[in-house]
Order: sequence, then C-alpha cells, then structure tokens
Amino acid sequence: MQTTLDGIGLHELFTSGYRNLKKNMQAINELNVFPVPDGDTGANMVMTFGGGLRTVSGETAHIGQYMQTLSRAVLLSARGNSGVIFSQFIYGLSRGLAQKESITFPDLAYAFTCAKEDAYRSIITPTEGTILTVIREAADFLTENAQKYPSFEEGFDALQAQMTATLKKTPELLPVLKEAGVVDSGGAGLVCFIDGICAHLRGESVDDIPDWTDISAPAAQTVDFGPDSRLEYGYCTEFILQLMNYKTDLSRFDLQKFTKPLEEMGDSIVAVHNDGIVKIHIHTFTPELVLGYGRRFGEFVSVKIENMSIQHSQVQQEAPQREKVKYAIIAVASGAGIKEYFESIGASYIIDGGQTNNPPVSAFLEAFERFDAEHIVVLPNNSNIILTANQAAESYTQCDVRVIPTKSIVEGYSALSMMNLWCDTVEELLEDMSANLSSVTTGYVTTSIRDTHMDGLDISKGAYIGLDGKHILASEASRVEAAKKLVQQITAATPKEVIIFFYGEGVNEEEIAELSGFLQTEYPMTDIGFVAGRQTVYDFIISLE
Amino acid sequence: MRDYIILTDSTSDLTYEMRQQYGIEYVPMQYIIDGVEYKASLDWESHNPKEYYDLMRNGTRVFTSQILKDTYYEAFHNAISEGKDVIYIACSSALSASINVARLVAMELTQKHPEAGIYCIDSLISSLGQGYLAMEASRKRAAGLSAADTAAYIESIKLCVNQCGTVSSLEYLRRAGRVKASKAFFGNLFGVKPIIISDIKGQNYAYKKAKGTLNARIAIAEHIRDAANGVYEELFLTHADCEEDILLLRDEILKIAPFKNVTVSTIGPIVGASVGPGTVIAFCHGTEVTIEGNE
Repeated sequence: MQTTLDGIGLHELFTSGYRNLKKNMQAINELNVFPVPDGDTGANMVMTFGGGLRTVSGETAHIGQYMQTLSRAVLLSARGNSGVIFSQFIYGLSRGLAQKESITFPDLAYAFTCAKEDAYRSIITPTEGTILTVIREAADFLTENAQKYPSFEEGFDALQAQMTATLKKTPELLPVLKEAGVVDSGGAGLVCFIDGICAHLRGESVDDIPDWTDISAPAAQTVDFGPDSRLEYGYCTEFILQLMNYKTDLSRFDLQKFTKPLEEMGDSIVAVHNDGIVKIHIHTFTPELVLGYGRRFGEFVSVKIENMSIQHSQVQQEAPQREKVKYAIIAVASGAGIKEYFESIGASYIIDGGQTNNPPVSAFLEAFERFDAEHIVVLPNNSNIILTANQAAESYTQCDVRVIPTKSIVEGYSALSMMNLWCDTVEELLEDMSANLSSVTTGYVTTSIRDTHMDGLDISKGAYIGLDGKHILASEASRVEAAKKLVQQITAATPKEVIIFFYGEGVNEEEIAELSGFLQTEYPMTDIGFVAGRQTVYDFIISLE
Repeated sequence: MRDYIILTDSTSDLTYEMRQQYGIEYVPMQYIIDGVEYKASLDWESHNPKEYYDLMRNGTRVFTSQILKDTYYEAFHNAISEGKDVIYIACSSALSASINVARLVAMELTQKHPEAGIYCIDSLISSLGQGYLAMEASRKRAAGLSAADTAAYIESIKLCVNQCGTVSSLEYLRRAGRVKASKAFFGNLFGVKPIIISDIKGQNYAYKKAKGTLNARIAIAEHIRDAANGVYEELFLTHADCEEDILLLRDEILKIAPFKNVTVSTIGPIVGASVGPGTVIAFCHGTEVTIEGNE
C-alpha cells in the first residue's frame, strides 16, 4: 500500500499514464467527430504531455518543484484544444501541490480543484460533455471522497471508476457525440492517462491494460485545395507567446482583456496564461491579424497555422455517401489489418468494434445509412455485439437488414469468404455465407493476466495461453509455442482443411516463418494463410475450417 | 457423299490413343518459354507434362500463341486435295481467336474449291469438352452422316457439354485473362476454391465457391451429377499434373453419379498454360448450359 507520494513516485505514475495514453493514441484520434477537426486529439494529447515529460529528469523528490518544472514544459508543448486543456489541468495540479514536498491521496482533492479552475479558465465558452466535464466531476468527487482513501491504489481506482463513468455519459451532454456514437476524445485521453497511473500502482505494465478501444489506421490523406478553391473554414491558428517586459506590464497582464479582441477575429478560442507565457488556439480567417495582435504583447515561441478547408476535405472524403447496391455487407471488426482485409474481400463497410469496444446501435444505423441497398447483411463478429446488431436491424425501416450471428472475426471471415454477391435472392446469399459457420473453429492466443488454474492447466501470469473460445487448450512461454499447441489440440479433435492466422501488432517475421514452417510440415494438405491483422489484445486469432 | 476429316486443335487435350481410335487430326498452337517457341503438341514432344508444369510451379511464365494461317491452310488444303471435306472443331472463341483465322482460310479455299465443304465450329469449350465433340463427330461419321449433317449435329449439342472444375490458384487464369471472376469474389481468399464452369459464351466462369479441397470435389461432383441429369454414360476428366487429385475427384463423382465410362487425360500445354498446375476438370454430356458469367 502506498500512502505517500513524492516527485520521483509521481514521475513514475505520470510516465505510466503517458505510455497508456500513447498506446491508445490512434483510437482516441478516431473519436474526433467534429466536421472540422483541428488536429487529432490523441496525438495532440500525447505530444502535449510527452513534450513536457521529456524535459524533466524524474529525480526531483520535491513534488511541488517537480510539478512546477513539468507543468511549464507541458504548457509549452501543448497543442490542440484538448492538449491545451490537458496542459492547464497539469498546471492546475502543480499550483495545488506547489508547497508540498510529498503528498497523501487526500491532498489530491485540492490539487484537482485547482486543476478544474485552470482548465475552465482556459476556455472562453466552456462546453459540457468534454474533457472539462471529466475534470470537473473528478475534482468534485475528490472533494467529497478523497478522505476515504488512505492509499493511492484504492484512491486512484475509485477516481478512475468515477472518471470512466463521467466519460460514458459525455454523449448525453453533447449531442454531437451522441450522433456520432462516441464519447469525448479529450475525456477519453484523460481516462487513458489515469488508467496508466492505476496500472502502475497495481504493479502492472500498461501493456496489460486492455485497449480503451481498438486502433485503426489513419485514412489516406490527399490535399484538396487548389487555385480556385474557396477558404470556407479559415485557419486553425495556434501560438505560444512569451510576453515581453518592454511590450507589456507582465504583473498586470489580464488574459481576459487580452483575449477580448480575439473574439472579433475568430472562434473556438482557447487561451492560457502562465508565468508570462500565453498560449492561444483560435479558428480565424485572418491569422495575420491574430499574429499581429499577439505580437504587440510579446514574441512568439512557436506558431502553427493550418488551413481547415484541407482538413475538412479530408473529412468529407470519409463522409457517408449513399451507394446504390443490391447487397451491402457491413462487418464489425477491429485491428487495422483485419479491417483492410475484410474490405479487400468484399465487406462494403466496417464498423470499428470488438471485445473491448462494442459499437452502439447508432453506429450500425449510421453504417446502414451509407447505402442505398436492397438488402443489408450484418456480421457482428462478436457474441456481445449480436444483440445490438439485431436491435439496429429491427429499428431500421429503409431496407431489409439481416444479421448473420457471427461470433468472432474468424466466423466473419468464413461468411465473407463464401459470399457471392451475384446471387439472385438474399436467402441464397445468406445460405452461402452461413454454409460453413458450423465447421469453423476460432483459436485465440493471448497473455494471461493473472496466475490461475483452469482446464487442467497451471497458468502463470504473463504466460501465453491458447483458447478455442470456450476452453484454454495451451499455456506456453512463447506465443508461437502456444499457437502450435492450440492448433494441434483443435485439429486432433476435428481435422481442418484451412488454417488462417490473423497475427497481431508486434508479431515479427521470424515468428511467422516458424509457424509457417510448422504448419506446412504438420499439415501438408491444408491451405494455410497469414494475414497481418494488426489487432491488439490477441497475438493470434486463428481460423480453422 | 464426300469423305471428311475431323480436325481439332491443341486445346482438345485428346491423347494419341484417342485420336487414333477416332481418326481425329489436330492443328497445333504454339507455346513460348523464355522466348523459345514450341509446337503445342498433345503428345508432349518438347517437354513432358511433369517438366512443363514444374516450370510453371517454379514461376516460369508460359505464353501461348494462336494457330497460324499457314497451319490451317496446309491442313485444310491437304484434305481438299484428297477430295475430302473438313469439320474443324475449334477451341472456344472466348478463349482463343484461332477460329477467326480458320474461318478466313476456309473462305479463301472454298472460293477456289467450290465443291469443298469446310465447317468451322466454335465449340464454346476447351480441353476434353472440345475433344468430346470431336469424338462425337467421329461417331456420326462412322454412322454414315455427311459432313454437313455432322456439323449441324455438333452445333446442336455443343452447349450440352458441361464443364466443372477447380484450379489451385486463380492467378493463372486471371493473368491469361481467361476467367470471369471479380476481384472481390476471390481476391486474397485462403482455402476458397473457385468452381469453374464454361458458360453459354464459352467463357470460364467461376460461378461458385467451395471451402477447402474436399468441399470443392463435392461441389464439382454435384454439379456434374445435376448436369448429367440421370444419364450417366461418359465422364471425361483432365488434370494438370495432379493425378492423385483427379482420381479422388473421379471417386467422388462416381459415388453420386455412376458413369459407365470414365476417360482421364492430362491437360495439354495450351489449356495448361492458362489454368496452371493442380487444375482438375470434369466434363459430361448433359443438360444445356444456361449460365452466363458476369463480373
């Protein structure tokens, strides 16, 4: 049990928090729902905090001094809306802990209250249902309850639970989130950060934390702004300004007065001032006026200007277009490689989702809307998603929607691989797609998150286990060995003709080569395939048909 | 009544014995390996089947070329000189343009020799399906039918020759441009075997999928059974250097469709170049083909 925390300990917690934030960066990026995104939230938060973390040594025992150094550095590297708010949150914590050498968990109540104040102060018109709400309710929770938790372990676990609950209700507070079927991205980033802290307190690595949601590849970017284009959305303009003594009176600098004229020049303004450094984020059609105005007070540390019409056109390319088709096949999948693969073999659209990230009904409805189809066939590819898919199918009235209750990615593959989009009736299509489902076995290889005894196997934490969806059939020190054993166990029970490995993020070529050699030797008559699924959680998802 | 020769070409996959038995001649196409042109001999004069398909397995690309005008001229002219007519049963026009050349040559020759009849028949199929039509023509000749009557008969039954097979990889057919199958249908699939028929236009058409080799055999057997429609006379099987597979397919078909006669041959170099090693195909005379492939 950890009851006190100093600067060195906090640095460790923050490092773990940062690592988890980074791990989930892409997933957080994808939560961006705004038609005009000013950057990617996940990346912005990672760069914001990472930029700060890199400049501190982690050897400062005095927690107040540690926080002062860190928060200033974080402020300087802050970017994007959520990044700026995040940096203010960190600055607020440092303000709250300034005089402390070390702290107990209840001390965080005051620090969080300061963090809340500073975070709200940075936004001209605070919006609820965002990272701000997550911070505010966390601060309120600690004010009420921090005394109940003598240890950091218990305290952070409770805090994490509270913040997750707030995050989950962000769609209720912010209609745009609800429409998009996502939670607030900045809030999600903050929760990831806290998740990482909790993991460290539990003595775990962030790799043990299930992903907040799955990771997907960014869409291909094309710049679409030519000589005849119109500047429709202005520029996302950010700068960090060092206030100069010869230009302004630093002691009497008033951020509100400073930002007032900016409201005439643009919107979405975020403004921060700490220790003579001002950070501004604004959407404007006249960045030159904004910069000119800013420079009356100081000199720039850095400036970033991005044309939002280009960002917008990128979003538009991904925007729903109603495609007229006889059959539209909508599959739920996670793992960038798996998604790409499913699209390459005929899925019309992929809904991001899986075990750790069950898509809501709205995500299905939004996907259905994309097609002007006679029939839509849905592959939920997870037993926890079938009900949602059914509900969506029932509530959709514009065309016939059928759900094939595929329980895994592997069953989804089986259905996709057998479909024939030229068949005359949807019944034939469903028959083809369902034909082989009963003979499909799904194998998984992942790491055990705890020591346990199950299915007659002694399994130690961190061991690679092989499952067939119901039972653990293998527990080995390496994932390749676990995969081999698993395949042997499954094929011993039922001979298989086709074995496909969807290998996850981090599996290397030597491992693939070893498995490939093994399979060719052991199963010479079997068709063998490898797909870079790039999924997380499962090192291998194995299809045996 | 004028006597007539029955002529086919390198895609008929008729063995020497079959050609002898039925009195069938053939005009050769050519195949090209590493820039060297070889006669596409049905008797494997330049490479034996194992050598040939191993070259393909090892990645050697084999190109093919259609029948030369002079080859047709010589074959047709020789027959006419002997006072004979010609029935030429050609490879499907969807797979080879040879028949167009044949028709040109036939026109030239019949203008000079108005007494001669040269019947060029687009078989709309290849391999032993085409070979079977030549055998049928031979049988009609033996039964005393004239060239014109035999040609009309062959025209009337050619769409009743059913083909059903599978390949080890669609890549060969796709590269040769000799299959109708959309990319989404078979792109990047593992363990999915295309079930390929010859459609009403004589195109190879991957009309169905089967998961795994066993299911593919079952699907082919069922297709052939349904096509034969209860009349189990002759079954023709060809393979591209995979004898074990073709015998398994034979057994699978005979389980549900007890054909009285089974003929097995090797897929010759021209068809082989576009279907690739590991291909198995079954043919039978049955109900008329009605399927037309689309992308």
